[in-house]
Amino acid sequence: MSPGTIASSIADGLLIGIVYGIAAMGLSLIWGVMSVINLTHGALISLGMFGVYLLFTTFGLNPYLALIVVAFFGLLLGVLIYLIAIARVIDAPHLSSLLATFSVNMIIIGLGTAIFTTTPRDTGFSLGSVQIGPVTLQGTRLVAMVVTLIVAGALYAFLYRTRTGKYIRAVANNRAAAELMGIPSTAILALSFGIGTMLAAIAGGLISTFFSFTILSGGIYELKSFIIVVLGGLGNPLGALVGGLILGVLEGVLPLTMPNTWVPVIEFLLFVFILLVRPSGLLGGK
Amino acid sequence: MSILEIRDLAAGYGEVQILWGPSLSLEEKKLTCLVGGNGVGKTTLLRTVMGLVRPWKGSIRFDGKDISGTPAYTKADLGLVLVPEGRQLFTEMTVEENLEMGATNRRARPNIKKNLERVYTMFPRLKERRWQKAGTLSGGEQQMLAVGRGIMAEPIVLMIDELSLGLAPVLTLQLFQSLRQLRQEGLTILLVEQNVQMALAISDYGYVLAEGRVEMEGPARELAHNPHIRAAYLGL
Ligand SMILES: Nc1ncnc2c1ncn2[C@@H]1O[C@H](COP(=O)(O)OP(=O)(O)OP(=O)(O)O)[C@@H](O)[C@H]1O
Ligand SMILES: [Mg+2]
Repeated sequence: MSPGTIASSIADGLLIGIVYGIAAMGLSLIWGVMSVINLTHGALISLGMFGVYLLFTTFGLNPYLALIVVAFFGLLLGVLIYLIAIARVIDAPHLSSLLATFSVNMIIIGLGTAIFTTTPRDTGFSLGSVQIGPVTLQGTRLVAMVVTLIVAGALYAFLYRTRTGKYIRAVANNRAAAELMGIPSTAILALSFGIGTMLAAIAGGLISTFFSFTILSGGIYELKSFIIVVLGGLGNPLGALVGGLILGVLEGVLPLTMPNTWVPVIEFLLFVFILLVRPSGLLGGK
Repeated sequence: MSILEIRDLAAGYGEVQILWGPSLSLEEKKLTCLVGGNGVGKTTLLRTVMGLVRPWKGSIRFDGKDISGTPAYTKADLGLVLVPEGRQLFTEMTVEENLEMGATNRRARPNIKKNLERVYTMFPRLKERRWQKAGTLSGGEQQMLAVGRGIMAEPIVLMIDELSLGLAPVLTLQLFQSLRQLRQEGLTILLVEQNVQMALAISDYGYVLAEGRVEMEGPARELAHNPHIRAAYLGL
């Protein structure tokens, strides 16, 4: 195993890991604001993939422009899902909202399978590659990283610098007090769910530019998101990005030393181990 | 003129009735206190007025309009503001962000700068700590912040649930002085307070709540001299 191979694996891992991170960020944000574990997450990642794929293959829209459209509809869809399926059970025990998101997930997966079948799709989009010493970097992955960093930065600026973003943090921190201040918490929760969904859709859209996928593929990334939020601390969006990088590097490096099929086993062993040793997450507080 | 008018209020949690028809009336620009033993329903009364607990019966009129059915988040727009029991700060946000959140309602938002100065003048300690997370403040500073956040909302009626609970005497005195100052500036205040003696000393009018009913009411000075109250609440 040459140092070049290892460097390539790490670089690939970092580039894909940060995209995992943005998906996990959506999951983490929703948990942090409203204590809902969003089992629709994977299906929404899949929809993001199909969104970019369909806009590109049928209308010839550049995938990164398509991504903007997908982000917008992701936001809208998330708001609708919240208002229709989750708002009613938001104060019920956690199991109710878990089942509500699970049901929406099944509806999307069912419709998606009926409409798109489960034949793998591929956008067939390429931006060439860049060679740095022994390391080859795919253009699409590099752009995905840049987009992810921009989105994450924008999210932070939004949450910490704008009034509405501060409302989200206030509602996350103390919903009853936020209501007393005059913050309409239902609208803010719907928006937060929309943003979480948007992040999932963006992650899916980015992944579709370099991997083939089916309507079920999102489920895999949902599982990765769970590992990542446990690594980064549930409810800590920035931790999700770091957790994503860690997972990405593991996925890049582990296959060099063992068969690919063992990688998820190691990942989930890590998941259980962290839950046992540091339930608040590797990077989480408390 | 009375600005907040509560009539025959009934409310509770689940099947358990806590309020059994108390009626209160707040005079404009006056400081009214509501005292009573533990668990008699003072907090429940304030929460019902705010719309956090749904009234079963009775009416709540604010500035002449019935508000018993309007949701909590619209109350601040009207000018009805609660500094809740246990402070309920946004502990993960900075002091200044907490104050900013206080000014969410439509009337207060344009005056955020002016009110920020007002709060910082009243509580200079908060200005020193304005970039600090609210959760890291001392108990006294947190209470100042809770009151400051209430002032940021430009209240017409400010209701405060337990101003002095758990605070050192010096701080308690300072907070009571701030209240008196706010009252002089023309604010209508409803104060729920454990420290009955001090509450009656600064109030214009007082209510005594017992088992969900108004047991006694009157000008604060008279209540302070009432033999029953002196025995039951002042330990004299
Ligand atoms: N969320 C709730 N659910 C059920 N019962 C409650 C709830 N909140 C308060 N109670 C009950 O209602 C009664 C009145 O409580 P409340 O908090 O209004 O009293 P209080 O006068 O404010 O007391 P304190 O002086 O201790 O603050 C108590 O018996 C309490 O146990
Ligand atoms: Mg109370």
